[in-house]
Amino acid sequence: MNLKISALDYVQEVQNGNISAEDFTAATLEHIHSIDEKLHALLSVNDDAINQAREIDKKIKSGDKVGACFGMPISIKDNMCIKNSKTTCASKMLENFIAPYDATVISKLKEQDAIFIGKANMDEFAMGLTTEFSAYGPSKNPWNVDCTPGGSSGGSAVSVSAFECIASLGSDTGGSVRNPASFCSAVGYKPTYGLISRYGLISYANSIEQIGPVTRTVKDTAFLLNMITGLDPNDNTTVDNKNEDYLSGIDSGVEGKKIGIIKEMMAEGTDPAVVSATKDAISKLEGLGAICEEVSLDMVKYSVAAYYTITATEAGSNLARYDNLRYGYDFSVEGYEFNSYIQKARKNFGPEVTRRMIIGGFVPSAGHAGKYFLKALKVKSKLTKEINEAFKKYDLLIAPTVPILPFKLGEKIDDPVSLFLVDINTVTANLTGKPAISVPFTISNGLPIGIQLLADSMNDKMLLQAARALEQTVKLPEVPI
Amino acid sequence: MVTEEEIEKVAKLMKIEVDDHKEYVDKVHAMIDYFDILDSAGVEDEEISMQEIPITALREDKHIPFDEKLIEKLNHYKGTYVRAPKMS
Repeated sequence: MNLKISALDYVQEVQNGNISAEDFTAATLEHIHSIDEKLHALLSVNDDAINQAREIDKKIKSGDKVGACFGMPISIKDNMCIKNSKTTCASKMLENFIAPYDATVISKLKEQDAIFIGKANMDEFAMGLTTEFSAYGPSKNPWNVDCTPGGSSGGSAVSVSAFECIASLGSDTGGSVRNPASFCSAVGYKPTYGLISRYGLISYANSIEQIGPVTRTVKDTAFLLNMITGLDPNDNTTVDNKNEDYLSGIDSGVEGKKIGIIKEMMAEGTDPAVVSATKDAISKLEGLGAICEEVSLDMVKYSVAAYYTITATEAGSNLARYDNLRYGYDFSVEGYEFNSYIQKARKNFGPEVTRRMIIGGFVPSAGHAGKYFLKALKVKSKLTKEINEAFKKYDLLIAPTVPILPFKLGEKIDDPVSLFLVDINTVTANLTGKPAISVPFTISNGLPIGIQLLADSMNDKMLLQAARALEQTVKLPEVPI
Repeated sequence: MVTEEEIEKVAKLMKIEVDDHKEYVDKVHAMIDYFDILDSAGVEDEEISMQEIPITALREDKHIPFDEKLIEKLNHYKGTYVRAPKMS
């Protein structure tokens, strides 16, 4: 059984009767059991997957209507609710939390007969970019198991690139889909803010986070977007995309498109291999008829500080609900005064979540808000103005997804400020609400480098077309697992 | 410059107990210090843009039945009430 096929090829193969959903699921589970001990991409595996696949095969055989996924195994980042299954957010705080309802993306994929093969590892509450802050231990990069796979949706990216599923859903608050996709040589997508419902996604920083697919190909991302985008009455930040078909016209190319190269995202400190790969990608796009020139977004220099200030503030508020009364681990209330009870409950947060909660209390507090939170909001506004100006002149923007190569596990964990700077190229899309994609582009000394493209809001379709064009200029080696 | 006392005061207000000084206060201190870069952004005169959502665009405020009793899932549900720690 070839587990390395794309989502679209899988659908074709099942439709043609060449493979069954059950056989594919069984082979996928077998592969997971043989490899996940080493990679730790998944926090839980769906024990009922085979039965679900069998039911889908029955529907296919009897000629009943079958959803567009035809039993495709998909992993889901463990911060999205699947009814009656564990959703831990990679936190001890939610170790035993059974979701009472389906997230909207889950309902939509269920309708399309997807099989949720497992819940993917992540940094606790999606706070981090290496998966090292998972309370259950880090995932490993399949390209080099000594390296981080990136994060926070590291488990999603590992599971896709190590063939433990065909596609995955992650969430991207500051690059959490694109960063691990880049580090693991997968496609990672952060849609226009509001394109995908966040209902059932455990909140971290509501004003900027989005769910996004991780896939093997750009076409597979378009395929998933066709199923999971659109208005949702349960999330009033969703936007009406008029049932856009992201797959149609995906081979339109980039001829005549104007692409701005973001100067500040290739600044000092960017790894020379990453600079070289980005220049190569630009040449390839020019070879396809795009017109590329440098553009400056001055506020990018301040974007990481603004991003952490805003997200910590929102996280501080969102995480206040973990008081051990509504959520949390179980211990008796007897003998506790209210504050000490909650303090004890909150000891179940890991170190990074705890730090961000403290920051989230500090930066918007009386006496400090003007210096931190309000200034961060002003940077966000000015950055948005700058990028909107850029999009008057350019159809797309380009930059490396991450300025450095995947680094060793443990290398940066004790230095939060050096970790901050890994986010420098990805947070702009979140702060401004723009869509962005990481396309696998090259392998340097055995480690993947992804290239990021950005487009204006609601130009997701054009962005996917450009990403598809870039993807076709390279042939990458297979992951060495 | 932020002081450690200020950080510890906020941690207390957030109902977070800080045992390991190095793990929390020092790192939080370094993180907040990094945010000083915002002072150089020159955005003092910038307006903060907020997205306004008209009330008519919100979901209708009506009861939507749920097929399970969520209250029963609470840790300390006692049949007719939820046991909470005493307020001092």
